[in-house]
Amino acid sequence: MKDIYVTSSPHIRSPEDVPWIMRQVIYALIPGALVGIYFFGVPAIKVILISTLACIMFEILWQRLVGQPITVKDGSACLTGLLLAMNLPAGSPWWLVVIGAAVAMILGKHVYGGLGNNPFNPALVARVFLLISFPVHMTTWAQPRAFLSNTADAVSGATPLGALKTAIFEHGTVAAYGDFNLLDPFLGNIGGSLGEISALALLLGGIYLIGRKIISWHIPVSYIATVFIFTGICWLINPNMYAPPLFHVIAGGLMIGAFFMATDMVTSPITNKGKVVFAVGCGVITVVIRLWGGYPEGVSFAILIMNAFVPLINKATGPKKFGAVS
Amino acid sequence: MINAVILVGGIGFVAALILGISAVTFAVKMDPREKAVLDQLPGANCGACGFAGCAAFAHELTQNENAEMACPAVNEEALQAISDVLCRELGGGTPMIAFVGCKGTPEKSITRFSYVGPHDCRAAQIVAGGAKACQYGCLGLGSCVDVCPFDAIHMGEDSLPHVDDLKCTGCGKCVDTCPREIIRLVPANANYCVSCISRDSAKDMKAYCQVGCIKCRICENTCPFDAIVVVDGNAAIINQEKCRKCGLCVSVCPTGVIEQLHVQAKAYIIEEKCRGCSICAQVCPVDAISGKPKEPYVIDQGKCVGCGLCIEKCPADAVERLSI
Amino acid sequence: MKTFKGGIHPPGQKSLVKDNAIVEMPLGSLFFVLTQQHLGAPAKPLVKKGDKVLRGQVLTEPLGFVSVPVHAPTSGTVKEVAKKVHPVTGLLAPCVVIEADGNDQWAEGLPLERDPFAMSAKDLLSVIQGCGLVGMGGATFPTHVKLSPPKDKPIDTFIVNGAECEPYLAADYRLMLEQPDRIIKGTQIIMRILGLDHAVIAIEANKPDAIKVMENLVPPEITVESLKVKYPQGAEKQLINACSGREVPSGGLPMDVGALVQNAGTCAAVWDACSRGIPLIERITSVTGGGIKEPKNIKVRIGTPLHEVIEFCGGLTDVAKVVFGGPMMGIAQYSPDVSVMKGTSGILILTHQETNIDTFSSCIGCGRCIDACPMSLNPSILSKFGEKGMWEKAVEYNLLDCFECGSCTYMCPANRPIVHFVKYLKTLQREANAKRKEA
Repeated sequence: MKDIYVTSSPHIRSPEDVPWIMRQVIYALIPGALVGIYFFGVPAIKVILISTLACIMFEILWQRLVGQPITVKDGSACLTGLLLAMNLPAGSPWWLVVIGAAVAMILGKHVYGGLGNNPFNPALVARVFLLISFPVHMTTWAQPRAFLSNTADAVSGATPLGALKTAIFEHGTVAAYGDFNLLDPFLGNIGGSLGEISALALLLGGIYLIGRKIISWHIPVSYIATVFIFTGICWLINPNMYAPPLFHVIAGGLMIGAFFMATDMVTSPITNKGKVVFAVGCGVITVVIRLWGGYPEGVSFAILIMNAFVPLINKATGPKKFGAVS
Repeated sequence: MINAVILVGGIGFVAALILGISAVTFAVKMDPREKAVLDQLPGANCGACGFAGCAAFAHELTQNENAEMACPAVNEEALQAISDVLCRELGGGTPMIAFVGCKGTPEKSITRFSYVGPHDCRAAQIVAGGAKACQYGCLGLGSCVDVCPFDAIHMGEDSLPHVDDLKCTGCGKCVDTCPREIIRLVPANANYCVSCISRDSAKDMKAYCQVGCIKCRICENTCPFDAIVVVDGNAAIINQEKCRKCGLCVSVCPTGVIEQLHVQAKAYIIEEKCRGCSICAQVCPVDAISGKPKEPYVIDQGKCVGCGLCIEKCPADAVERLSI
Repeated sequence: MKTFKGGIHPPGQKSLVKDNAIVEMPLGSLFFVLTQQHLGAPAKPLVKKGDKVLRGQVLTEPLGFVSVPVHAPTSGTVKEVAKKVHPVTGLLAPCVVIEADGNDQWAEGLPLERDPFAMSAKDLLSVIQGCGLVGMGGATFPTHVKLSPPKDKPIDTFIVNGAECEPYLAADYRLMLEQPDRIIKGTQIIMRILGLDHAVIAIEANKPDAIKVMENLVPPEITVESLKVKYPQGAEKQLINACSGREVPSGGLPMDVGALVQNAGTCAAVWDACSRGIPLIERITSVTGGGIKEPKNIKVRIGTPLHEVIEFCGGLTDVAKVVFGGPMMGIAQYSPDVSVMKGTSGILILTHQETNIDTFSSCIGCGRCIDACPMSLNPSILSKFGEKGMWEKAVEYNLLDCFECGSCTYMCPANRPIVHFVKYLKTLQREANAKRKEA
């Protein structure tokens, strides 16, 4: 009878396992990636491919090195590779991408014990590492142009938020930025990271994830609402110094951050209450950095800082049990 | 520029001052002997002494004059060092090591089903009493391996744990962890142990294990020293104090369940010293010594099992062990 | 539609067997009647090898109030009183083995004819215990004990559990369709015992025809409640919460909120026992799953060996697991010699595709287990404590409120055996408590 299995109950499982979840998130990122490829051309394809393959390779190398079973089939390395690519400038040189992949996989995930054990979002750890180590490369943004135009003619310029910060720094008023065109950032016709440019594409992906119950609405809605309300209040008080709230929501890394980075299951709180607290914190820090900090964009830092508080948030926002006797 | 240097330098100086003063005012007063004792303890915090770690036990030893040496992991050298520091004699107990009492490999014993679940013997026990048909047998999932603080027990290819007697300190954590109480502590110099704790009858056992103790009592009847007994339906057990390590029980056991822990060096007689008194030949349990009166006796190396009785009993110190 | 917080929606899988009318299984030659088929104190065998027994004859004597006897499922001779594998523990347990004589002759006087509505509550309870009645939803708690709440815990709400929320099972469903009168009359007897003038029969909305049948037949004092389809709706606390909004307090019992629940099959057995003196010797069991050739709902005598049931249902195809009960809380079997018991609501033959035998990985913090838990616990952290054996921390995180429904484990994408960890931690807690009591 050795071929019969005996285990504890239950004896059936949902088919939605970890590889399935990773696949759904990858599908949700595809619209954003396609927009990036459309506007930035072949270099974008290169960055995506190198990042994904490098992440997979570093995971296999590390697990072999320390003698652990190889878990790359769970799809998390591939997903981190894609997310990292979406957070890099499309013109990033290959070696930058590879270093980023190594940092994401090893310093961001495997030194902690692999999937499920890391406290910080690995793609963001890599992105911030690269930003601090290679500031010039990481802030050289190719401008969008039609897909089939010659790569050698790529023009570089600022992202909308970058231009905004410069305008305020140099001229003391947002009027120097110019007209707050919302259509371009909504569709993606702006400079920025490979995957963050199109609010529409990311929104579609985010709605797919919420509809499929991969993520809950709590983090995206709370994060975006906090940013909208905080910047809205500032803009109402002084429209000369602050950009309109809708601009802050659409331009920059908020959409990709709110739907895909802050919602990373491993590094965000486990209860819905906790998720709201976490997202509000992310929103506040993002706005503080954007409005009064040295960087034009604060999403990456905000999420990493809030990642550190997740264990405390989890402890404070645990579920109240059925039949609790007060 | 100079302002920056002064400012940062000033901050550094103030910080150093605060740290220095704190280090003195908030210093934890420790008896210097306690530190010396702690240095001699293994630092594994295994808890065998009954205290919450080596620091706690070092504290107890130093502060309590009547405290006895309860750490099984200190060797002779460390024991002497601690005795010197505390200016009192601390006696160590008999060194003990862990012994795994099961030989039921998957080839030699029946597995009833395939178990899937946490890789822990105590957790596996909950599922229909474990996958092994024998309720006294080792489940092979390695809870003992996980809990050992000295890296002294490892799972073998045969799905049974194996104790490294060079590293084992007899702390007893594996003994407490095993849900079936298969592991027990035996004196480190023990040579033979029965590798089964089953209380099942021979008839029941035949159905699921080829290497268990079937309580046939052949060993009990063979032992010249009454050192191995079968009592009350339990598996045979060796009284290590009586055991003279002659190995006769092993040679007659039908299932091979008695384990030999060490290879013993054989003995040889020094011709010049031997008076031919024949005492060695009389005590030899395997009849390996022969000779004529008043002439040097000879040990048959082929028969000798290295029990050492002849060495002990020779009045002329004429018998010694061969070096291995 | 009324429901409770949490829960999951596993595929129902009832279509395999739900349209199969109940079929009576022909009697075999050997019956293995385990003496412990209930929660509570053991029962002592009254028969020995060689004794002749008749159908419905009592075989054991309960050793305590929370205990019930077992009865002979058919007439024959006692072959032996020996230890056989018990389906719940997987270990050996005392068992009366009966060799049937083929006559199936009732014990003297049985079945009798009487009016249970003329009997006092005390007499009815005595009959219920004497007939060996236990909760037939699977928990097998002695029915007479449940129906005897202490005076300081008055009951005002009685709910008949027709939810049958476990996937695959359809035994209660078929009973409601084919023999609703037994259930209704049993309900009325229980109302009499409890002194109630109303009761609720709760049925999940995926059984609309059963709901209709019941609605047409119930007297005005009984209401039929249709509940949202969700597992574990049929769990006692969740059923009470959905029907009445009340929450049974942690560490408490339904009687603490004035409620009482009985399985529909138990109600039918109460009717048989009180009106005709028939003890609990047979039940309806769903034999189903991808691995059995002819899924059936069988009317089967307790003590019938598993291999006979499998044969009657056409034999096996591919088998990975054999489960007694439902797939969420049932118990996997390894021995073909186990026998049907009072609480065996289902026998599932699960194929390799239907069940899951993969290893597990680290918790990824997705939170699906927390959303699923009907007791609003934190299964994720309990599983992490389980990996380390940290039972004290687990108790702080409400380990003892978990009733092991399996919703968390079903949902977990990392395939973590959370229920197993919970059971393991509870074992450690019990052992530590026992050691403390000794000291």
